[in-house]
Amino acid sequence: MSARVRLGLLQVFAPLIAILVGALVAAGIILALGQNPLEVYAIMVRFSLMRIDSLAAIWFKATPLLFSGLAVALSFRASVWNIGVEGQYYVGAFAAAWVGFSIGGLPAAVHLPLAVLAGAAAGALWAFVPIALKLRRGAHEVITTIMMNYIAGALVLYLLADVFRDPTQAGTPRVRTPLFHDSARMPLLGPLLQRLGLEIPEHSALNWFLVVGVVMCAGAAYVLARSRFGYEVRAVALNPGAAEAAGISLDRVRFVMFMTAGAVAGLVGLSDILGFFGYFDIDFPKGLGFAGISVALLARNHPLGIIPAAWLFGFLDRGAQGVQVFAGVPREVITILQAVIILAIVVAYELLTRYVRVQRKREAERASGGSPIAAVAEGG
Amino acid sequence: MDLLASLVNMALLASAVRLTVPILLTALGAVYTERGGVFNIGLEGTMIMGTFFGAAVTHLVTQAFQGPEASAAAPAIAPVTGMLAAMVAGVLFSSIHAVMAVTFRVDQLISGVALNLLAVGLARFLNILFFGVATQSPGIRGFGPWSIPLLREVPALAPVATGISPMIPIALGLVVLGQWILLRTVFGLRLRAVGENPHAADTLGVNVVRLRYAGVLISGALAGLAGGYLSIEQGRGYLEGMTQGRGFIALAAMIFGNWWPLGALGASALFGYFDALSLRVVYTGVPYQFITVLPHLATILVLAGFVRRATPPAADGIPFTKEEG
Repeated sequence: MSARVRLGLLQVFAPLIAILVGALVAAGIILALGQNPLEVYAIMVRFSLMRIDSLAAIWFKATPLLFSGLAVALSFRASVWNIGVEGQYYVGAFAAAWVGFSIGGLPAAVHLPLAVLAGAAAGALWAFVPIALKLRRGAHEVITTIMMNYIAGALVLYLLADVFRDPTQAGTPRVRTPLFHDSARMPLLGPLLQRLGLEIPEHSALNWFLVVGVVMCAGAAYVLARSRFGYEVRAVALNPGAAEAAGISLDRVRFVMFMTAGAVAGLVGLSDILGFFGYFDIDFPKGLGFAGISVALLARNHPLGIIPAAWLFGFLDRGAQGVQVFAGVPREVITILQAVIILAIVVAYELLTRYVRVQRKREAERASGGSPIAAVAEGG
Repeated sequence: MDLLASLVNMALLASAVRLTVPILLTALGAVYTERGGVFNIGLEGTMIMGTFFGAAVTHLVTQAFQGPEASAAAPAIAPVTGMLAAMVAGVLFSSIHAVMAVTFRVDQLISGVALNLLAVGLARFLNILFFGVATQSPGIRGFGPWSIPLLREVPALAPVATGISPMIPIALGLVVLGQWILLRTVFGLRLRAVGENPHAADTLGVNVVRLRYAGVLISGALAGLAGGYLSIEQGRGYLEGMTQGRGFIALAAMIFGNWWPLGALGASALFGYFDALSLRVVYTGVPYQFITVLPHLATILVLAGFVRRATPPAADGIPFTKEEG
């Protein structure tokens, strides 16, 4: 087996081992609860993988994670730590909602893209503050983005409750915006899948944002691997000093990647509100931005890896519903499982990176028949 | 004049002092871990663990003492055990970060973020296990109120000097102790050396790994205690999300305090003031949602250096490897 093949296999096995470690820890907790972990896992697999409505639900849950995972990964690739996807998607979703309910009489071909663009623009705007403060004033983006999350939550709450609350709901406990015009709604995937022979249930919320998310991940992978800008990003990640010496502007790469991340983050909530609810309300799904961090870590910040990682989290989420209903195991066990997977995966990748480094060193030694220093001296 | 009166009054200041404590304790912990060269953004999650275990243990001990024979025996035993439990929980939880960041040398930021995710799930799960519901514990009683002997006689100072938590003087004492440890003790000097230049410290025979562990674990104890204070003294019970990002705000306070305990005290007092302001109705005509984010806005402004520039320890956040000197 060549070193290359072995390395490739290890790259695939590292996440599998991490998932196994997570499953073992969760099994311990399930045992402590007095249940049989094998039975619980069997219920989880049967419930989420053997039912067509579950398969659709998994992809629907994975859809926002494609965007939030990609948003986190894009910023992490440029070594800027965007922990603010959570806030960026709140404002993005609200901006898209505003376009959805306030503008009427547009054809869907104009209205829907306009709503999506509004979401992206608002997300990018929310990302602009922390990246500008970082590049101009040296403010640590991790803390400023987290603070921006709280501010986004307050702003959206204010806009929702005090400014744009649906007047027809006054006097009821429901706090939500007016309904969107139909022209701003994202069509469902169900009809197409049914024509292809898949028995997707009528109520499935699976919509075209899934396709948009997959295409965006693929597009990001292509740009990063093949374009000049992608080359610059990779150079900055590998060796910022050398990249700068070669004439690449670190600030420009970081700014562009962070703003792109913000724009992608602005789309996270759209599958739920434009594809499913049709309004923005106070119980709007939260935490998708933080879940995106887990997805990006699992995918090792590779845009194509985001797709299986998002699916895995969708699967765990759906499975958590199953074990809660059918085995009486609290779904929080699955949240712990997710966190342990993340901890295990970062250790696995770190050990892998170290292993690769040692292998390279050994190869260099073997090639020169002496110390690595001699190899460099002879090669130079 | 009304606005000024509502911004500066004794009741508000008393509330500011109370709200300074959790930020201060965590910021003090952050000073230890970062002086040792380990960035620990998992302090928010560590605080969450402290809030849960502090409240849960206080509740259980209170119940154990509610037997027919022993009731008025010692009302302080429950909150004291609760605080200690919160510290132990903080140490155990941050030991995960120590293993990840110091032993396995993974990216410290990522490890901390993962810990924050873990803390949220774990607290929910444990709360279900202990109390049957996901988001809050039963109500508990904290320490009996305490007042400062001489100051309480002065009517104008009475709101600040009476009915205070004993944790307030303890926190202030820990600040002075911390300043002394970092400036004057062998441990403090070595810890700082390890954070500034671990390889030089290593050459001189200082055990870098052990000191970095110590820094992280102390930060865990203090953040756990901060969480215990929040749930036992401030909230009188655990409530999901009660830390409100104070772990992150504390990191900003530490930066603003230039990585020194006394500096962290000043910065935490500032954030405590904004926190108190956000809990009070201030008649400004600004919607309340924006008042609640005052501490978060202040944090951004402070970090952006509109107040002061700061210099971190030179090796802060960089994993230490012996071979690659």
